[in-house]
Amino acid sequence: MSGEVATSPHNFIQHGPHGFDVGEHGFTARQLSRLDEALTLSSRESGLTFSVYIGALQPPTRAHAEALFERLDDDSVLIAISPTQRVLHVVTGPESSRRLPNRACALAALAMRASFSQGDLVGGIVTGLRMLADSAGRA
Amino acid sequence: MTIPETVGVFVGIPGGIIAALGFAVYGKSLLHQPNRYRPGRPWNYQPAWFVPHPDAVVAGGRPGSAPAVEGVSTSTTAVGGASGEW
Repeated sequence: MSGEVATSPHNFIQHGPHGFDVGEHGFTARQLSRLDEALTLSSRESGLTFSVYIGALQPPTRAHAEALFERLDDDSVLIAISPTQRVLHVVTGPESSRRLPNRACALAALAMRASFSQGDLVGGIVTGLRMLADSAGRA
Repeated sequence: MTIPETVGVFVGIPGGIIAALGFAVYGKSLLHQPNRYRPGRPWNYQPAWFVPHPDAVVAGGRPGSAPAVEGVSTSTTAVGGASGEW
């Protein structure tokens, strides 16, 4: 498991599958491994650093997502999702926005919205990551 | 038939059949997706921020471009992106 939670990495990392138990972050081990694989592959292929935030966003949500982004690098792409508020934001930085124009981000956001409205959080994230990485092309 | 037998036949057996059918329909998803997100329902889990492991990314990216999330302020400003609601 190579995914980490920035705020508290020690609480998150699960060593080996735990069946269908849901961790405190709301995902099963299988879902976490799908997320981890998608994050790693898309970041490796595109050379951009993708990260996914799932949790509440303080209104105005866009400002909160951009404030979170300030802790990342120029070539990062942040996907911030608040399932309760039913809102998602894709944030790009100075470097990553050259590879990922807003139009490509909007297309990925559209695909993610379609999955989220069906209740498929992990599937939507994986689809969005794949579309963003495809749009960015190879490093 | 005594009263317990009558209750067992006319309540217990139909109830058991209904419970078995209910489990056959919903049981699998309850076991496999106990956290299934339903749009409109609250998501009562801790916030989580997933970043790829630096070692896994360096292969194709630039070395040293690891995510600097661990409390280190790099003061990157957001430039673009997109938003959506569902």
